[in-house]
This record gives sequence, C-alpha cells and structure tokens, in this order.
Amino acid sequence: MSDAIVLRGLTKTFGDTVAVRELDLVVPQGALYGVIGPNGAGKTTAIRMILSILMPDRGEISVLGHRSAMEAKDRIGYLPEERGLYKRMRVGQFLDYMARLKGDEGPDLRARIRAWLERVDLAEVEMKRCEELSKGMQQKVQFLAAIIHRPDLLILDEPFSGLDPVNQRLVRELVHGEHQRGATVLFSTHVMVHAEQLCDHVVMIHRGVKVLDDTIGSIRTRFDPRSVLFEPLDPAADVDALAGIPGVQHVRKDGPVWDISLTPTADRASVIQMIAAAIPPARVELRRPSLEDVFINIVSEAAAEGDHATLRAAVREDAGGPREARA
Amino acid sequence: MRKILHIAEREFLATAGTKAFIFAVLVAPAVLGLLILVMPRMWRDGPPRVEGEIAILDPTGQVATGVQSFLQPDRIAERRQDAYRKMQEAMPPALRAAAGGEDTSKEGIERAFESALGEVPRLSIRALDSGSDVEAAKHPLKEATAKKPGAPGRLALVVVHADAVERKPGADRFGSYDLFVRSKLDDRLTDEIGDGIRDAIIGARIRRSGLDRGQVEALTNVDRVASRTVTTAGEGRTNELLNLLIPAALLGLLLMSVLMSGQYLLTTTVEEKSNRVVEVLLSAVSPMELMVGKILGQFAVGLLVLALYLGLGVIALLSFASLGLLDPTLIAFLLLFYLLAYLSVGALMAAIGSAVNEMREAQGLMTPVMMIIMIPWILWMPISRDPNSPLATVLSFVPPVSNFVIMLRLASSTPPPLWQTLLAIVAGAAGVYASLWFAAKVFRIGLLMYGKPPSFATLIRWARTG
Repeated sequence: MSDAIVLRGLTKTFGDTVAVRELDLVVPQGALYGVIGPNGAGKTTAIRMILSILMPDRGEISVLGHRSAMEAKDRIGYLPEERGLYKRMRVGQFLDYMARLKGDEGPDLRARIRAWLERVDLAEVEMKRCEELSKGMQQKVQFLAAIIHRPDLLILDEPFSGLDPVNQRLVRELVHGEHQRGATVLFSTHVMVHAEQLCDHVVMIHRGVKVLDDTIGSIRTRFDPRSVLFEPLDPAADVDALAGIPGVQHVRKDGPVWDISLTPTADRASVIQMIAAAIPPARVELRRPSLEDVFINIVSEAAAEGDHATLRAAVREDAGGPREARA
Repeated sequence: MRKILHIAEREFLATAGTKAFIFAVLVAPAVLGLLILVMPRMWRDGPPRVEGEIAILDPTGQVATGVQSFLQPDRIAERRQDAYRKMQEAMPPALRAAAGGEDTSKEGIERAFESALGEVPRLSIRALDSGSDVEAAKHPLKEATAKKPGAPGRLALVVVHADAVERKPGADRFGSYDLFVRSKLDDRLTDEIGDGIRDAIIGARIRRSGLDRGQVEALTNVDRVASRTVTTAGEGRTNELLNLLIPAALLGLLLMSVLMSGQYLLTTTVEEKSNRVVEVLLSAVSPMELMVGKILGQFAVGLLVLALYLGLGVIALLSFASLGLLDPTLIAFLLLFYLLAYLSVGALMAAIGSAVNEMREAQGLMTPVMMIIMIPWILWMPISRDPNSPLATVLSFVPPVSNFVIMLRLASSTPPPLWQTLLAIVAGAAGVYASLWFAAKVFRIGLLMYGKPPSFATLIRWARTG
C-alpha cells in the first residue's frame, strides 16, 4: 500500500521567519497521525503546503500518489484552523455546495447531508442560515463540510479548538468513524492531551523543525520516566524512608503525591511490591509519560530552565483561549 | 470546469438573489418610471392664481396701452394655446399620448396649461403720471412683499425710457425700459411682463415710423423647420435630443453595469476572506478557478443588469416609435465592450478584494481604479461633441478607458473608422490580459494574507514576485 502523504525536505520562509524547516514526513495510508506543537510551531504552514494552498520554497510533496494536492483535491477533506462559513447561506445549501466543489454530485447527496446533520444533532438546522447557528453548531457544520464527500485523506487543523467537552467527544468519535471507514487522518493540535486520546502516531514540531515522529507505544517506551507515583493512606507517614528500598533512586514530593524514581536496572514489579509493603498506599502506580512531558523533555535541551512553565502552558488546552479571542 | 461553474452559479445567486439587489435593480427604475407617469397628474397643483397691478411710468405715452392689451387674460390664454399646439406638433405621437392624450379642444388645452403654468393671471395695468417719482412708485412693491406673496397688490413697476420709442437726436440706438418687481414673483410672470413691454415698444416704434406692423412681421419671419435625417431606410425627423441622449445612455449603461458587478465582486471577495471561508474553498479549488468562477458569476450579474435596462430602453424607444435610432450593431458592440471593460475592471476589483481584510480598507485601493473609470464620464461632453478629436482617438486605445470611449464614439453621429474600432478591441483585449495576469498573481497571494492592508505598490510587488 502506498503512502498517503510523503514530504521530503519541505521548507517555507515568510520574510526572515523560517516557518517550516527541512520537514520530512511519511503518513501511510489508513493511519491516524497527530501533528503536535505549540502555537506558531509551523503546523498550519505545513498543512497548507500539503494541501498546495501554500507553495513550499524547497522540498518535495506527494499526496495520495500525486505530485500536488491540486491533482487529488477531490479526495481530500480539510478543516482549516480558521473556520469559515458563508453567513447568508443555508446550512444544507452550504454542505451541498462544498460537496459539489469536491466533485461529489451523487444523487444521494441531499440524503447524505440530512443523515449527517441528524448524526450530529443538527437535523433541524438544515434550512437555517449559517449565521443563525451557535459557534459550536457552526463548528460541527464545518466539520461535516470536510467529510461530506467521503475523502480518502482527512486533514484537520486544530479540530477541537473552541468546542465544549461534549462536542470534543463527538468530534473525536467522528474522526474515529472516518478512520474506521478507511480514511487516512492527519490532524494538528497544540493540546497534547487531544493527540494522546486520538492518534496512534505523533509528529511533534517545534519552531518549524520536526522533533519527534513515532508511535504512541514507542514513545511511551522511549520516554519511560521510570518512576512510581505514590500516595500513602496515612498522610503523616514518613515517605522519605522509602529511599532506602533497593532500586529506588530518590523520593520527591510532587504536590499531594510522591514521585519515586527508579534506577535504570530496577525491576518495577518488585519495587512496587516493596513500597506497598513498607507503607500502606492509597494509590501506587507506574508513571506514564505524557506527550506534554515528552515535548518538554525534547525541547528543554534548547530551552532555558525558566521557559519550562511557558512551554507547558503553550501545550495545554487553556492556551487556546487567547488565540481564539484573536481569531 | 464544473467547479468554476459551481462557483459562478453560487456567486450569481448570492448576488442577484438578495433583496438588496432586487431593490437596486428593479425597484429603483420602477419608482422612476412611476414618477414619470404620476408627475403630470401632480402638476394639477400648479402655481396659485396671480392677481395684481402692474404700474407703468411711460413718458412716451405710447407704450402703456400696448402692454395693457398684451397682458389681457384672453390674449395670454391665446398665446398659451399657440405654444401648446406647436409643442404638440414637435412631439412624437406616442409621447403625446403618454403626456395626456390628444385633447386639442380649447378647453383641453386650457386645462393642460393651467395644470402646468397655473391659471391665467389677472393683471391690471396702471399708467402712472409721467411726472411721478420713481422711488415713490417702488414703495408699493416693498409693501406687497411684506404681505403674503400671493396677495394682490403692486407686482411690478415698469419705467419706460423717454427715448424708447423715438431715438434721441444723434443717437443710433433706441432707449429701453427698467423693470422692478417685488420679491418672490413667479419668473414665468416676469417673462410674460417683459414680453408684453417688448411687444408694446416694438409696436409703438413701428407706428411711429409709419410702417405697417403686420407687414414688418411678415417680412421678418421665416419659419423654423425641423431637420430630416436621411438614411438608407428612408427619411425621418432628426431628433437632436435623442441623438445626444443615446450615446450618453449607452455609456451610462456600460459604466453602471461594469461598476455594479465590479463592486459586487469586490464585496463578495472581501466577505469570503473576512469570513475565513476562503481557505476551505482553496482546499477544493485552485485560486485561479476560484477567481475565474467569481468573475464569471458577476459577469452574469452585470449582463442581467445590462439586459434589463437595455430592454427597458428598447421598450421606451418602441413606444416613441423611435427604435430606428438605435442601431442593432450598437447593442452588439455594447455587449462586446461590456465584456472587455468588465473583465479588466472586475479582475482588478477581485485582486483588491483578495488583498484587504474588510471593505473599509478597500476604499484606498479602489480610488485609482475608480478615477480611471470616471474619465470617460467626465469627458462625455467633449467626446460626444467631437467624437473624432485627437483626445477621443487617443483615449480609444488606452485600456480600460478605451472600451468606454470607443462605445461613446460608436454611438455618436460620426462613428470612428473601422480600423480604430478594431484597434480599440485589440487594446481592450490586451487590457483584459494584463488585468487578469495581475489579478491572478495578487489573488493567489492576497487571499491568505491577513493583517496590515497592503498599498497599491505592495500589490504590484506581489504581482512581480508572485
């Protein structure tokens, strides 16, 4: 099976700013890829180049086997970060128009539109003008516009921004549905948690450079923090004493819990047994690496210590706030 | 190609299907037409009847009587009837019918005139003593002004010069008269009084010279005739007014449809950009397809406007039985030059629309385009007076102005030679090519540019590097 997207040495500059630098990426057909990185990392620029909306300064692109997305536009679904609707157009009309622009003029188009609107609880808005919809409803309509023509490749730029948790879950289900149908999905987000919840492969971009390109499983192994989270049943217990257990490197209080880091050679199962035996635990578990941790880990080499808080803030959900306001 | 047509279709429907458009295109001319029909009925409320006195200080003693008889109500009514008959004869029959039938009876004419000019004025003439003081005689004029404007009283004071009828010894010119009127006197009445005095003085001079007035008038009068235009289709009465109006109407129509559709193109482009819908569109079509689709859609809008007004014009000419004045080839040329003018102007509008974030920012960039388009409108008079002047000839080859200027010249009474028309078409096509080339480059870059609105210089830089 050929690859859905192949990028080689993709570079794009705006004036003096290098938005994307030497980006290599291969997205196999049928994969669900997440592109993550803080705002301004170059995600949107990369996506626009994949779609031939922007032309790269250098590098090669192959999309669905074509040299340019221009030649495969009808097989691609795209939800841009900057959402747009024709305000005066009716919802049904808008979806119909978008499908036709994607070359989908099947006789069942109207029926499919109706079915999709029902699926996302918008059955009653088909004849309403787009401007009459709430922001969340508009987002759902925009999402439908990206998938109505049953694309082979679905590219979603920040699909969750501006959605409440209920609708975030709905979109997640829809994305899964498209993936199940057989579509290759590439989506970007600056919120690492969203990528963790959705995709099986992540590409991390920081300041225009790809810093990570791996499966979630492999990342978990590679970035295993080798530490145990521990919360004693008795808050007054002397947790520091656990430092004496063989295999424990050091014990550090991290808010209400304790972070017990292990030596590289320690056997995790036996250390956990010994910890639980020494002090009755309310909770004891192996710490999983979050993408956020991985990201901080990777970029911290380049960043000064003081920047960590800023970086963390940039890849959490609330970072979307000011960006939304600007848009 | 199908996608371009989809875009064009949406563009057309989104523009021509709005209430604002229907109002602008259909309701405005309908209201105008209605006014034309209703206005004559409203004239029934003509000026109020005028009653009052005209004082004459006549040292010659030979003018006052003449004025008196000239301004008798019967004679005023008679003159009005004469004038009306002449006007009726000059009018095309259809217009006559539209203006209120062919009621040529005396009462009918009187009614028509009373509705237009007001009732025949009732004027009394008062001859003042030849020794009266002029300043004292003016006094009642001031008093009358202080009262209600329409109230009876002294309306005017005529002071006839002593040498108005008989030259002073040695002088080679006759004297004249002075006319003092109160304020707010209807100018039609002032004219009537002036005519009366003129008539009376001329009468007195002729009598004084011992000539027969009837004979003098017969000798000095040659009837004015209307010229007749000779064409291969036969002879017809020259209609100078329409000869001037038709080129102006065609130019106006061309300008209006180009401006209207160009403006719509600008608005919808800015809207798509500020709505952020443009990026979704660009994932489905190329910028070129989008631009061509939009230009085509608005082309259809302009064509609709053009067809609608042209249709109204043809109907109007038909009803005046003057359709022969409009050469069918002119309509073909109008469509051709609409195509050329619209494509060059429309492409620029699309480029401007793509470069800005909101309509307000577009104004600055539009000014140069608008100024260029306004040139033919400003030069309408000089060009239609002399359609083959060097200015008109040169402007016929400078796109996009050329499309408007050559249209004006083609519609004029002395159309340009064929080679000039062909050259103008070539120039127009070259203008279209340049415009589309420029627009395509700017459009592609501008659509995804947000932030500070660019200057015209920036647009040109985009076009060169894009």
